[in-house]
Amino acid sequence: MRSFVRTWLAGGLVILLLLQGRAFAAPAASMSRTDVLAKLCAAGGQDVPSALRQMLDGAVDASAADRDWAKRVVQGFSTRSLRCADDGSAFLTGPGGAVNAATLAPGASPDGLRAPLPSLRTRALLEQLDAALTLFVAPAAADRLAAVHTLERRGDGLPPGLLRHALDAEHDAQIAAGLRGLIVAAGLHSPDIPERLAAIHALGRDPTSQVVTTLATLRADPGYAEPPGVAAALDQELTQARWWVRIGDGLSLAYNGVSAGSVLFLSSVGLAIIFGLMGVINLAQGELIMIGAYATFCVQQAMRSVAPSMLDWYPLVAIPVVFVVTALVGVAMELLVIRHLYRRPLMTLLATWAISLLLVNLVRVGFGTQNLEFQTPSYLTGGVRLVGDFLVTWNHMGAIAFALAAFAVTLALLRLTDIGLFIRTVTQNRAMAGCVGISTRRIDMAAFGFGAGLAGLAGLALSPIYNVNPTMGTGFIIDSFMVVVLGGVGSLFGTAVASLGIGLVNVGIEPFYGAVAAKVVALLLVILLIQRRPEGLIALKGRR
Amino acid sequence: MGFALVGELLSSSDGLGRQIFKSGSLHAISAVMADLIATIVLALLLSGMVVRVARWLRPWRHDLSRCHFLSRTKVDAMRTLTRRSVIATAGAALAAPAIIRPGWAADTVKLGCLFSSSGTMANLEGRMNYVVQMAAAEVNASGGVLGRQIEVVTTNPASDWPTYAQMGRQLLQEQKVAAMFGCWTSVSRKSVLPVVEQNDGLLFYPLHFEGEENSKSVVYLNSPPSSSVLPAVDYLMSADGGSAKRFFMLGSDYVWPRTINKILKAYWAKKGIQPSAWQEQYVPFGFSNFQNLVNQIRSFTSAGGGQPIVVLTVVGSSIPDFLREYTNQGLKPTDIPVLGLDMVEADLEGLNTEGLVGNLNCWAYLQNAPGPRNQAFLANWAAYVKKSGAPYRPDVAIDPMVSAYDGVHLWAAAAKKAGSFDVPEVRKAFGGLTFDCPSGYTIGMTAENNYVSRGVFIGSVNEKQGFDVLWQSKDTPKPVPFSES
Repeated sequence: MRSFVRTWLAGGLVILLLLQGRAFAAPAASMSRTDVLAKLCAAGGQDVPSALRQMLDGAVDASAADRDWAKRVVQGFSTRSLRCADDGSAFLTGPGGAVNAATLAPGASPDGLRAPLPSLRTRALLEQLDAALTLFVAPAAADRLAAVHTLERRGDGLPPGLLRHALDAEHDAQIAAGLRGLIVAAGLHSPDIPERLAAIHALGRDPTSQVVTTLATLRADPGYAEPPGVAAALDQELTQARWWVRIGDGLSLAYNGVSAGSVLFLSSVGLAIIFGLMGVINLAQGELIMIGAYATFCVQQAMRSVAPSMLDWYPLVAIPVVFVVTALVGVAMELLVIRHLYRRPLMTLLATWAISLLLVNLVRVGFGTQNLEFQTPSYLTGGVRLVGDFLVTWNHMGAIAFALAAFAVTLALLRLTDIGLFIRTVTQNRAMAGCVGISTRRIDMAAFGFGAGLAGLAGLALSPIYNVNPTMGTGFIIDSFMVVVLGGVGSLFGTAVASLGIGLVNVGIEPFYGAVAAKVVALLLVILLIQRRPEGLIALKGRR
Repeated sequence: MGFALVGELLSSSDGLGRQIFKSGSLHAISAVMADLIATIVLALLLSGMVVRVARWLRPWRHDLSRCHFLSRTKVDAMRTLTRRSVIATAGAALAAPAIIRPGWAADTVKLGCLFSSSGTMANLEGRMNYVVQMAAAEVNASGGVLGRQIEVVTTNPASDWPTYAQMGRQLLQEQKVAAMFGCWTSVSRKSVLPVVEQNDGLLFYPLHFEGEENSKSVVYLNSPPSSSVLPAVDYLMSADGGSAKRFFMLGSDYVWPRTINKILKAYWAKKGIQPSAWQEQYVPFGFSNFQNLVNQIRSFTSAGGGQPIVVLTVVGSSIPDFLREYTNQGLKPTDIPVLGLDMVEADLEGLNTEGLVGNLNCWAYLQNAPGPRNQAFLANWAAYVKKSGAPYRPDVAIDPMVSAYDGVHLWAAAAKKAGSFDVPEVRKAFGGLTFDCPSGYTIGMTAENNYVSRGVFIGSVNEKQGFDVLWQSKDTPKPVPFSES
């Protein structure tokens, strides 16, 4: 039944083309355009894999025009811009209008076309085929390099000769090296023993858990490891690769812990100033983080409309803006509410909570409740693999760097400037500071503004990692207080040590006992530590 | 200490504020405005209280040494708070409804909503209030039910599970609602369950869930596992779905993910799959740091032994957090697809979905469901959002919204058929009811239980933060409340 439909569809297409009176280039025998399109369009999608296979096999000998065509069809099919009509004709739609999918000649597409959806199985095949075609047709070296990396993951079942063909045509040294690596790796199952050994050693040079799995599977196959030397080579590479993977896993754990710690530090450094130095229980701290993130969003939108070419650098532009905006919000809070309540901690707690509710709802009315869409800059996406499976992800690296910078700047401000001196003075003995002529009120305001500004910067730094929505702030508040209290009220070093400690403990326990247990253990440890040292890890000397 | 108590006071008076404005004739004020106003009122109350306390304390201040400011004043302030201000505040808050609420007319019938508009579930549950109101407006426009207009009473349980029970009791006992629509997470449903059963109420529950429950007081508008999760897993294990052989189950730590995973494990065991082929991990609610878990998923992917998949049952804000880290660490749906059982269009808002194309979900409705009924529903929703000023995107509709919408119409049909708003009468009328759901299926109920039979869709994430229909069932499979094992 299906073959009947297919013949009918193919026939229909040919008739249609004849009717249109267009010249039809004779397709290469291996890559019949009509046949491929008919298979891609067939209802049910069962024929799609065979069509893709046909294109992949044909890619080796196909003409440049055919490869270009195949690439466009593959991309059209993956993005669902390939539309099928009931009469068997197919069109590629795009912003510039529709083209006939067989001839690539512009032509109006009729209404009511179907857009076939690739299934999961075909998506994997599409990825491989797209990368294989890219090797031949993409003019940009970066695209071809990306294709080589894709084929490193999806190299199984490539037609023989395809990689060599691509290597012959390649001018870029880096890509050529990548292709040579692929060719060597493809020799893993070669009957030629030296080729096999070369492939095994080549695999061992970049050890990942994937490599370990491949080697271990081969080692377990008695037929494969039988020839002399193969088993020994496998064992040698396996032992080494296992070690590297283990080291990589350890490093990942440490990296995750440090990055979790730096997120904690960022979210609590503002509070360390406000609660630690001034003793104000500010429950609106999380909302200041949220406002920082929203201010970042506004800067991004402004950049998008004013200087779209510089959009990638919006986080840098946003740093001063966000700091000023949130510091102003903080100063306003201080002037209007908190100033009147410095001596009544419980009142401050209630009042700041009311402020936090107010801020959340203002933002909700202004922006809506949905998560905001951030254009993550290219230097903050993805990552680079170092050892084994250890991947350094740039967004977390960014958070770590930002935390370090925030720590350094805050420390410098507190230690090296006059205002820092005044803040420390007021912290240690408010009455005495007043007596020697420091305007404690003004220092309070400045400190509160500074703490709020830091919270805003945390919002900026966390926007590529977290969901930005009106209620995002509530998630930070408890952890922040935990960090500040554990670290020792009033000590910036303590805050840094505590956040790093909590981050490492949380992340370190997680892989072994699960995230729920990790949280429980971390909390228990905090309780024990505070019982032992009520002043916190690093107690501030001086009279309070 | 008093923290929890104050929290209770604040959150409940916030909810109370919402009720004040919603239960009266102030329909025009959207829930958000009500929230805002309630907050301002609260802030004023608080600051007023604070000022009063400050005045009361002023003569004391001079006596106290400045150096020991933390000693007596604080204690006195706390004492004052418990003694006077709380009573005054509570009194004011309690008195308010009596002032603002108008006597409700006899020609209306009330429906209650139990959806959170704050907390971790806010972004998802919040929009449900509006869709119930939209459905009620549709019923009202066609003449109401038994000559009465529907009036919708909304609450805000603030993503706090016990509060759902408390608000549910208020709706049933004080507001005397004819039926309630509510709950997203199973833990909130379990918390309301005893309340509706004791008060002989009706709760329409719009989420697909873990099954293993069959209460006469709950109408299960969405599918149990047998007609949602299992067909989707079957698809992933078929050749077209990539012949999945190994499974990484990642869920939030509560009853729905644990039960779903239990059912799945029993299902796989029955198919002869070894326990070594799956891994199970749980995270706390609101968990956001998925670095370690995605590392583990990466190792799982490369461990060999057949195509792996992730069965994702984390909920709320954890879903976008997980997906962000998944893309960030370079995982691809072609390597290890994610079947997000609670993943809806709204979870993809704000994400760049290019790296996620091909990940899956399964629901009884998808926004891209074909058919004119869906087009009409989407147009109505967009118009309603515009008219009511709801803070949600007019071009996003999710399954639970449609389920709740169906629920209002099913309830109206049942009440009409029964000729009464009494819960036992309405319940008796459920058998044989049908409704033309926007999904394109004609959904129906039987006299056997309170389950609604729905169609099954498997969706595939596309570049436009939505889901394409990858597969859909021929008709509506009969819902089976309890799993076989």
